[in-house]
Amino acid sequence: MRLSWIVSSNAICALLPISGFANATIEGRVELPPSHSAPVMAKRYEIVTHGGVLSTQPPLAVVYLEGSFSKPVTPSTKQIAQKNLAFVPPLLPIQAGTRIEFPNLDDTYHSIFSYSPAKRFDLGRYRPDERPIPSEVFDTPGLVTLHCDIHEHMRGLILVLNTPYFVVTNPDGRFRLSGLPSGRYVLKAWIDSTTTREKPVDLKNGKTSHLDFP
Amino acid sequence: MIFSAKAIGPEITSFRTKLAIAMMLVVSGVTAFGIYLGQGRVTANAKRDLRQTFQAELSGLDKLQQLCNATLAERCRILAEKPRIHAALEDNALDLLYPSAKDELRDLMDGSDSSDQRAVSLHARFCRFLDGTGVVLSPPNQKDVGELDAKTEAQLALKTLPDKQQVGYLTEDVDLADETVDEVIAVPIFSSETGDVISALVVGFKPFEVISKRAGIEVKSGIWVGGRLHMPSISKAAQTILGHEISTALSKADRTHTDFTVTVENVPQLLFYKRLNPDSLFPPAYEICVYSLADSISQQNRLRWQFGGAGALLLLGGFVASHFIALRFAKPVERLALDSERNRAQRRQAEAKLMSTSEKLKRSTRYSADASHQLKSPLTVLRAGLEALLAHEDFKPEIYEELSTLLHQTHRLSGIIEDLLLLARLDAGYLQLHSEPVNLSQLVEEWLDDLDALPDSPDVEIQKKVPPDLYVAGAKRYISLIVQNLLENARKYNRKGGRIRVAAQVEGSEIRLAIGNTGQPIARDAQEHIFERFRRAATGAAVSGHGLGLNLARELVRLHKGDLKLVRSADDWTEFELRLRAAQPVVERAS
Repeated sequence: MRLSWIVSSNAICALLPISGFANATIEGRVELPPSHSAPVMAKRYEIVTHGGVLSTQPPLAVVYLEGSFSKPVTPSTKQIAQKNLAFVPPLLPIQAGTRIEFPNLDDTYHSIFSYSPAKRFDLGRYRPDERPIPSEVFDTPGLVTLHCDIHEHMRGLILVLNTPYFVVTNPDGRFRLSGLPSGRYVLKAWIDSTTTREKPVDLKNGKTSHLDFP
Repeated sequence: MIFSAKAIGPEITSFRTKLAIAMMLVVSGVTAFGIYLGQGRVTANAKRDLRQTFQAELSGLDKLQQLCNATLAERCRILAEKPRIHAALEDNALDLLYPSAKDELRDLMDGSDSSDQRAVSLHARFCRFLDGTGVVLSPPNQKDVGELDAKTEAQLALKTLPDKQQVGYLTEDVDLADETVDEVIAVPIFSSETGDVISALVVGFKPFEVISKRAGIEVKSGIWVGGRLHMPSISKAAQTILGHEISTALSKADRTHTDFTVTVENVPQLLFYKRLNPDSLFPPAYEICVYSLADSISQQNRLRWQFGGAGALLLLGGFVASHFIALRFAKPVERLALDSERNRAQRRQAEAKLMSTSEKLKRSTRYSADASHQLKSPLTVLRAGLEALLAHEDFKPEIYEELSTLLHQTHRLSGIIEDLLLLARLDAGYLQLHSEPVNLSQLVEEWLDDLDALPDSPDVEIQKKVPPDLYVAGAKRYISLIVQNLLENARKYNRKGGRIRVAAQVEGSEIRLAIGNTGQPIARDAQEHIFERFRRAATGAAVSGHGLGLNLARELVRLHKGDLKLVRSADDWTEFELRLRAAQPVVERAS
């Protein structure tokens, strides 16, 4: 339920800025690392570290098209909520320049901060009814690790990208990106904080290409 | 006996002196031994007390330090768990590390301006983080985390990050001339993501300094690190010297703690040392405690004086006591010496008397012997003359009678002389006995026959009850003389119509020969003198004899180790008993 919501909303967001520009599509499958936990229905996704490597659990990948694309004129706004002492969603790819709001949906204080090189910020302690909702604009591409100073176990990841063309795979690793411009590009798959795979693609308008990341 | 007391006076004095000296020596020896033991004990006790004081001090210090370290460790653990610090370390935002921990570090550093030393120890003087390789991360603003010069800060670095708490000591230059020692605790920070040690927090304190006077003993403490001693309570020069001594001692001994004696500022001190940070990654440091022995030594000196005084008193007492005891002991000895001297004098006198008596006796014996010899020759001449006259036939019968009487008297005289000669020889001890078995029965028989043959024999009946062949040990000549004497007496002192009874028998190892005769008994008061020389029991002048016979007989019997005694003399009966040692008959002769 939640998973489909994440995937669909991301897909919609990704398609919006380029509609009417081009209409190439790519689909395929990313070979995800084995899950560390037993498969459970309605599994709650979380960010885990294994040997210092951050990834989602169960594993998910972000597939995006590398290239120089113009930034949107009006920066979009997205949300990462804190609910049940966890970031929702735990992993969010965005285009650089996007503003993210961090609504507190719990009954307790949260204090969200990040020391990541891509974005350092500190929202300080705030209550659930804090208005306006604390937010930050993420301009620099890179991986941002979110911490809560009060709940040290909480982790969230924001993958800031230069491109507006990205999608989060489904739990099987399958992905589909459409509305892409035609031309030669590099398609990348972010698997965890240290692993990003890439493959060249030749996108043709109106056509659907197929690419797997082994 | 005044002369002898005077003679032995010096000896007694010398004895008394020797006794007194010996007792003095014993008393001195015991006193010296006592003092030696007491002294040793006092010294040992003092040292043990010091050691106990040190242990108590150190254990108290240890507890305080452990408490302090535990508190710090807990604070550091909480600090290390802070998400911001973790984020700063794990997200490589080291520039944010110190600012992130600012509040916590300030809390840790708080109260550093307090004047109470113990309270200071619970607060850090400085804090530093080490990065993943053990290098010190310089803080952006030293004021927040305690200022340190670059040299001191460099000492905080570790070769590798520790996985458990480390204690170290480092020297810090306060100014150009002075320096101080800081105690540092390094607490590892573990990554919450990987579990590895990603950093370490190093916290510095002012170490404890113990300067206490306990039980009158001054205690100073210091820290030895890196070959140098830091003991603010003593002078710089003394610190340097003592530091060298400790370095030498440490290089020799490899024990965790021990002690030795040193001289600091001309005062002997007992020094204890103990490793402060065993198994630490920091350089080895030692807790040094110095106890002044001055008090202990002065106490010991006082005690020594007391002991000495007591010893002197004891010696004096001992001297007086031994003097008196010697006097007392000497008294009986003196008396003994006097007595023995007196005894000796008496003995000498007795000996002298005895000597002179013996001399006299010898002289008289010799005189008797000489006289007997001198008498014998004229007597022989006289007898020969008388016998020659009797051979003449032309004398009147009265003259013959007279001559015959004279001859008889010469015979008697000759007998007396013989007896005297024998007695003289007995008295002089010249008579030597050649003992052999003598047939007593035969001798008695022969003499009884002779008795019958005598011309003037009174009419007496002889009763004989002598078993044949009774042998006694002796010289035949003398035994014969004894028997003759007794039998002649029995005949001589008999009455007319009386009797003589001779009986012999074996009694054990002796032969008993009893010779009894009738006749006037010997007067009661004369009985005890009959064996004396020149005594004659009977008063009858008609009886021939010279009073030597019984004396001679008894002397001869005693020479034979026998006995002769008067058994009875009363109611017309006088009986003598002769006892002689029996002998085995000679077989050859018997055959």
